[in-house]
Amino acid sequence: MDFISLTKPIEKIEEEQDVIILGGGPAGLTAGIYAGRNLWRTLIIEKAIVGGNAALTEKIDNYPGFPEGITGEELVKRMEVQAKKFGSKILEADVLSLKIDGNWKIVETSNGVFRAPTLIIATGTRPKKLGVPGEKEFIGKGVSYCAVCDGAFFTGKKVAVIGGGDSAVEEAIYLTKFAEEVTIIHRRDTLRAEKINQQRAFSNPKIKFLWSHIVKAIEGEKKVEKLILEDLKTGETKIFPVDGVFIYIGLIPNTELFKGILNLDSNGFIITDEKMHTSIPGIYAAGDVRGKILRQVVTAVSDGAIAGMEASKFLEELNYKEV
Amino acid sequence: MALLREEDRQYLENLFKENLKDKVKIILFSDKAAGSKLVVPGRVECPYCQQTREILEELVSLSDKLELEIHDFLTDEIIAKKYNVDKIPAILFEKNNNVLGVRYFGIPSGYEFSSLIEDILDISRGETQLSPTTKAFLATVNKPVYIQVFVTPTCPYCPRAVRLAHQFAMENPLITADMIEAIEFPHLAEKYNVTGVPKTIINEKVEIEGAVPENIFLEYFKSALKD
Repeated sequence: MDFISLTKPIEKIEEEQDVIILGGGPAGLTAGIYAGRNLWRTLIIEKAIVGGNAALTEKIDNYPGFPEGITGEELVKRMEVQAKKFGSKILEADVLSLKIDGNWKIVETSNGVFRAPTLIIATGTRPKKLGVPGEKEFIGKGVSYCAVCDGAFFTGKKVAVIGGGDSAVEEAIYLTKFAEEVTIIHRRDTLRAEKINQQRAFSNPKIKFLWSHIVKAIEGEKKVEKLILEDLKTGETKIFPVDGVFIYIGLIPNTELFKGILNLDSNGFIITDEKMHTSIPGIYAAGDVRGKILRQVVTAVSDGAIAGMEASKFLEELNYKEV
Repeated sequence: MALLREEDRQYLENLFKENLKDKVKIILFSDKAAGSKLVVPGRVECPYCQQTREILEELVSLSDKLELEIHDFLTDEIIAKKYNVDKIPAILFEKNNNVLGVRYFGIPSGYEFSSLIEDILDISRGETQLSPTTKAFLATVNKPVYIQVFVTPTCPYCPRAVRLAHQFAMENPLITADMIEAIEFPHLAEKYNVTGVPKTIINEKVEIEGAVPENIFLEYFKSALKD
């Protein structure tokens, strides 16, 4: 049995906070640990899963300190317990809007309005969609973005994983626990994943590869039955029969709410300096939502620590002035 | 053997001490209720019954406000029928002699263990955390509504869907909401074409893929009430 986490705090949460953190993944939780240890009133607002995308990873092998690997679920639970231990409160709510009023950052959520002089945005990313016919229609009917959630439904079946990065390859390996055959379909002819992941995939007898192919459509009667593929080298169209398709082709930043408020890069990620400062004083960004070169748990917690400390510094300086 | 870690036991004991108000009776329908190891030919196979029972026994030992009543699904057939229990393990809740529409079919383990704890707290306190708008609407519901939420224990999104449905059921006795662990009941997963979770089905006609916010769930719920 794992740690128990209750998303809705029993106690009432004050409207006024010192630090509000949007997103309860590794970056947000770490920011919570650092802000909490500086004794600031800290509220973490999470819309879906505490732990974020990391909680969806079956096993994390490259987080230092865990040579035998650790499940994503346990790693983030430990971070959650630690953030709460140092006083952070976690609220489950959707963030509806962000307003700036002088030094106040006002966050309207589905569960109340909160304000604080500092805001740390750690809203992470969500899976990029293929955007092909059938994808939306077959969500929950063979199209999935969460192997740990849905893998067991494909026991003894044939599935495809779309993508060639670490997520795609790791999830393909995970799916071989259930599926009889897993085919990685990638638009390039080499994988982007870490070499060790590639090696594991290449040596797994259940995993097959289809290089230089893209998905044009997902088809079936009531559920997914086949993919329509295009061979990029020959231009040929192929029918590929499958029972399920797991899509890991990249990430979209959750930054829609901040458009027009903060500076974003051309892909929508928040632009920060190395201190996690955004274009507005008192607002920081941390983790996958930030424009950066490596999106891993280990870099997310680093960002979170810096953001938590920078927010603390900002609050100390504010103490001398009127908020 | 204890299923809960020592730190979890302590945490729960405290949580219950500080937050439980009224007594809650947990009703479990299981196999081999008497703990017998006897194998009866033709009996329903229930690989998770024993573990479900152990979890609940440990849970109720943490507070004198919690009580566990165990029924054998086969020998207590009449009671099972009375409560409309058609598969096991099944968990129901009784408060002030009323059996609620909040139900679990399959083991509440993994992520669903949190749902179970939060449900117990809400039931004992007699209060859900739904918005005033939702509560006001649910009070007007005057015909039976049946919600099924399919989950897997490894699905982090699922407790959100389960908790919403269960809170709906707490607000109005005409609403019944079942958590169904899809892997334990493959015939139901097959019947409702479940290959992704959470999947919610309201009154056998409205289907929701994924966990949705409360206001959106309420809209789906309303659409299921229309004839």
